[in-house]
Amino acid sequence: MPGGPRADRRDFYEILGVPRTATQDEIQRAYRQLARQNHPDVNKDPGAEDRFKEISEAYDVLSDPQTRRRYDAFGPDFRQVPEDTDPEAFQRSRAGAGTAGAGQARGAGGADGFGAGLGGDLGGIDIEDLLGGIFGGRAGRGFGPIPGADQEAELELTVEEAFQGGHRSVTLQGPDGQRPLDVRIPAGVTNGQRIRLAGQGGRGSEGAPNGDLYFVARIAPHPRYRIDGRDLYVDLPLAPWEAALGTSVAVETPRGEMKVKVPPGTSTGKRLRLRHYGLPHPRGNAGHLYAEVKIVVPTKLTDEERRLFEQLAAVSTFDPRRR
Amino acid sequence: MGYALVLVRSASLNLEAFARTTGTHPDLVRRLVALGVLDADRDAAGELWFARSQVAVMGRVQRLRAGFGLNYAAVGLVTDLLDRIAVLEAALQEARRPGR
Repeated sequence: MPGGPRADRRDFYEILGVPRTATQDEIQRAYRQLARQNHPDVNKDPGAEDRFKEISEAYDVLSDPQTRRRYDAFGPDFRQVPEDTDPEAFQRSRAGAGTAGAGQARGAGGADGFGAGLGGDLGGIDIEDLLGGIFGGRAGRGFGPIPGADQEAELELTVEEAFQGGHRSVTLQGPDGQRPLDVRIPAGVTNGQRIRLAGQGGRGSEGAPNGDLYFVARIAPHPRYRIDGRDLYVDLPLAPWEAALGTSVAVETPRGEMKVKVPPGTSTGKRLRLRHYGLPHPRGNAGHLYAEVKIVVPTKLTDEERRLFEQLAAVSTFDPRRR
Repeated sequence: MGYALVLVRSASLNLEAFARTTGTHPDLVRRLVALGVLDADRDAAGELWFARSQVAVMGRVQRLRAGFGLNYAAVGLVTDLLDRIAVLEAALQEARRPGR
């Protein structure tokens, strides 16, 4: 899943992808572009919302020349530094204390866009920062509680999993690091079906409900089965004489091997149906399994086989191209 | 924790209930219906009724407005475009599917 870990606070310039020398115009352009790409209603990826908040937080600080100057001078914890602090004295005291400001872990209050220094020196807090936390962005001011967006992630399943159902452990990148989820896969899930995890999507603000997380089932290509809805298709290779004379062969199905009767005179392309041997339907009839006949000839004939085929060719009046 | 497939409840909400559920003002809801951003049915008494699915639509309207500072007419355009893209992406996905 995309979206890097957020244990370490990333540099605001890095988040917006601009150099430290960027002009206000460049910062705004970068922000607008990234915000459009990562808005949770435009980008259903579960990591997009966190990126959107990060981008908004970075823009909040860098778009205001005054807070930007303070960020440049004092780093990510600039809100805790009193207004009248001399940047150089600050740097010296930092170096003396031996702590690297940039690598410091995010404070508990920092994740929602509010400064970690709320309890500290109020004079150092920009009013915009105080109000910017509603949607994690400056544009989100004063809109009241807003429910979280629905998110979507793909879940690739094997044909066997789609057939039997089961559980799948999935790890998503969440705001507080890795988020393990146990997804129950219903037996008979089809391609494109959505599995809903209520309340596991984007977070609502100010007590509004969270969005839902949807896993969209994608059934991975299978070496043997092709899928159409709940129907399964499988190749059934036959020798020419088996196809001509009829036979009984074993066909592998997700339920195990099944004997299939091939009637005499079966040509390539004919489908033999195994009723309800496809994917199950939770509230209806299971799909079918179709064995598609494919006549296969030996690449190398033995002398005896060649003799018999030649004899057949001489005797037979069959013309498959006759109109 | 395990999660199962959940059926979405589909009872309708009247204007008051809808506004309460979405944490919005009924006047705003009425305006959005007039703009065609929200879908609502009007009963014989003239009261507006909203399908449950419109709660999510309202959430999206609020997020788009908050995230981009869009006005409500622009929100209508954006939601229409997003819906069209979702339909196209689903069709594309379907067409790309391997197999039959």
